[in-house]
Amino acid sequence: MPKLRLPKATLALPAWVWLLAFFAAPVGLIIWYSFGYKPSIFGTHANDILSLDRYAEALSPTFFSTFSNTLWVGVVGTLACLIIGMPVAYWMAVKVPVAKRGLLIAAIMIPFWTNFLVRTIGWQIILAPQGWLSQGLQAVGILDGPLEILYSRSAVLIGVIYNYLPLMILPLFVAFDRVGEPLREASKDLGAGRLQTFLRVTIPLARPGIIAGLLLVYIPLMGDYITATVLGGAKGNMAGQLVAAQFQSAQNWALGSAMAVILILTILLSAAVLGLIIWLATLPFRSHYRLRLGAEA
Amino acid sequence: MSETATKRIALDRSSREGAPQGTPSAARAKPRRSVSDRLFAIWGILVLLFLFAPIIVILVYSFNTGRLLIAFDGFGIDPFLTILNKPAIQNAVWVSIRSGVLSALFATSIGTLAGVAMARRPGKWVGWFLAVLVLVTVTPEIVDAVSLLPWVVFLGQDLGITIFNDGIFRLVVGNSLFSIAVVSYIVRARLVGISESLEEASADLYAPPLRTFWRITLPLAMPAVLAGGLLSFTLSLDNTIISSFVSVSGTTPWPVYVLSAVRSGLRPEIASVSTLMLIVTLLSLVLVAWVLKRSGDSATEIARTMAGS
Repeated sequence: MPKLRLPKATLALPAWVWLLAFFAAPVGLIIWYSFGYKPSIFGTHANDILSLDRYAEALSPTFFSTFSNTLWVGVVGTLACLIIGMPVAYWMAVKVPVAKRGLLIAAIMIPFWTNFLVRTIGWQIILAPQGWLSQGLQAVGILDGPLEILYSRSAVLIGVIYNYLPLMILPLFVAFDRVGEPLREASKDLGAGRLQTFLRVTIPLARPGIIAGLLLVYIPLMGDYITATVLGGAKGNMAGQLVAAQFQSAQNWALGSAMAVILILTILLSAAVLGLIIWLATLPFRSHYRLRLGAEA
Repeated sequence: MSETATKRIALDRSSREGAPQGTPSAARAKPRRSVSDRLFAIWGILVLLFLFAPIIVILVYSFNTGRLLIAFDGFGIDPFLTILNKPAIQNAVWVSIRSGVLSALFATSIGTLAGVAMARRPGKWVGWFLAVLVLVTVTPEIVDAVSLLPWVVFLGQDLGITIFNDGIFRLVVGNSLFSIAVVSYIVRARLVGISESLEEASADLYAPPLRTFWRITLPLAMPAVLAGGLLSFTLSLDNTIISSFVSVSGTTPWPVYVLSAVRSGLRPEIASVSTLMLIVTLLSLVLVAWVLKRSGDSATEIARTMAGS
């Protein structure tokens, strides 16, 4: 019988075409727009004269302060997620009985799959000056006046830590789980204390999960504009809002495009720098002998 | 049975249940729960409370009879009844569900094909394709959003391809990108773990490639396909940023409606609809977990599948 041998990637062809048409092409288009300018009050973009002026405009002091603000929230938020999430993931993977893990994972995932915007509105209610948290803290005597945290950078920080924490806990959990009891026991049998086992066995083996968690949190966090819109007010602006405003209200697509390109570059560059810092910081704990867990999928 | 044997079984069981101390001697020497274990448990529960706090607040406030969401007035089901008189809200939810279902069907179909191709036709192209998928996943949503808006306007108005002026179609395009990536990852991960021998046997027994695909490959991949489909549905329901850019007036999806309400003033109905939608999302997640569990995945694997890693 005639054997129909299709070229290797045929089944992936629809996905290739679709992603090129609606991911690569549009991103290419805004890169092109970013070299143009806004021709008139009613025009959104023009490309007959090409220049890098929009990039210079995007990096002017007012915009630059928002970008550095975003970077601050991004870095602090990501590290806070790591510090808060790591003990939780370790607890779930090592301390909790296997039978109860499924329930805990579900508990971590439920907020993750609740509407992002609605969860953030929940925080708006909690942090409101007249809200129950504010009243409770005043009743206990921790606060003298109403809670003045809403519509500030701190509120945005709480919001992003909350929104992205599950994205940190899950990959960390998977990583810690894969290290497994036998290796930890072997380490202890060979005379290592708990802290030493954690630093020299668990952490190095869980590194891929830690890196995945950091990236999964950092990248969407840097581009977030919903959390800042709901909780940030005028003081807690993030770069995503600036980009959005150029497209939605200012109708300056050229400038907005340049900002979007700068945002992507900032994310990639800062992620690389962050990675380098973490790599340098973990050098002392690195062993000469590399142990690899069985590679799956 | 000797005493030591019984003790060993007991120790075995305790270590299988995840008893903290590794070596038997440590387990005997120390109390079963050390201080650090308690601290871990306390921290874990505090974080869970933190994760649930705003959701509980929304659940409670969805019964707020006051005029504004943020000021709790009294407890009642009035806001749920108000939904019945608000066609704008009903329309928004309906648009979300329709575009969610369509995006899920679409993304699952072409994502599954791509996942199967990656697992069964490995080669250099897989590296390139995965690189594109990674790019799609790591590009901030706001960048996708601002780049899709001029693109669909260009295709729909400048080139005159009228389907790009259709609200639902635009939403499906916007929702599909991330979903395709997620489905492809999940399907590939599942099939890579299963040997190709069944498909080879099917081909040896003279089944044409298409039949082998329908009768062997697809059923093998089915748990991943279903999980991917339901994940794309929930992702699409949640999609706010891209939707708010590409949506056309008249086909406003639910999250975009809420986002505009954030600016103009939130009313308790918003929380009530969210409560109802939370129930729908939870039911679909339970369904995913159940399907995965039936196909024999452990809790960890379910978490991995659902986290898309």
